[in-house]
Amino acid sequence: MPIYKVSYVIIGNDNPGSILNQEEMPKKGELVQFGDKTFEIIEVLELVPPRGEFHYIHVTCQTVRKKGKSKK
Amino acid sequence: MELTKVFKGVDLFEGMSGDEIEKVARICIEKRFHKGGIIAKEGEVGDELFIIMDGFVEVVLGERGSKSARVVVSLGGGQIVGELALIDQGPRSATIRASSEPTVVQVIQRKDFEELCQIDTRIGYIVMHNLAVDLSFKLRHRNLE
Repeated sequence: MPIYKVSYVIIGNDNPGSILNQEEMPKKGELVQFGDKTFEIIEVLELVPPRGEFHYIHVTCQTVRKKGKSKK
Repeated sequence: MELTKVFKGVDLFEGMSGDEIEKVARICIEKRFHKGGIIAKEGEVGDELFIIMDGFVEVVLGERGSKSARVVVSLGGGQIVGELALIDQGPRSATIRASSEPTVVQVIQRKDFEELCQIDTRIGYIVMHNLAVDLSFKLRHRNLE
């Protein structure tokens, strides 16, 4: 089963971003929640080629007001 | 869940056989922290690497100096932290603070790790290679901020 090592960077906000392993590939337009704030994914990049089951993904997010899927 | 199964989802162990992961699991010690608990402190001598199993930790820079402290990244499940102390034996470059309730980590002591690597050099090679990949990924994360 693939594992996605995802680097989340938040733009326009003082949130420092996160790195975590997850079982689902993040998708543009999805909502994610860090702390009490919700962010929209605006860009997804494969940062380097996968190694074994591990995929190395970079995600850029921006703030939204709606509630979304909780990551933290 | 059995630790060796959980470790298959940790990229530090990518490329290892089940037996090899089992050997690493034997030198790991579980530690639990409450939200806000200090896992490692900037400036202190450290000889432990932490694998985050559950929850999140914050990496905080500047608590030692005159600068105001700031969180530079939040790390979640499957990530490793404190690896520099395992590699260069220098003081902790940042404070590591638990930011969820609870936060569960597996700890590897440098001495135990070095002994294991001398007995099984393939494990040492794989872990060191994967540590380099992880550091590279973190650097890329910083560059894209």
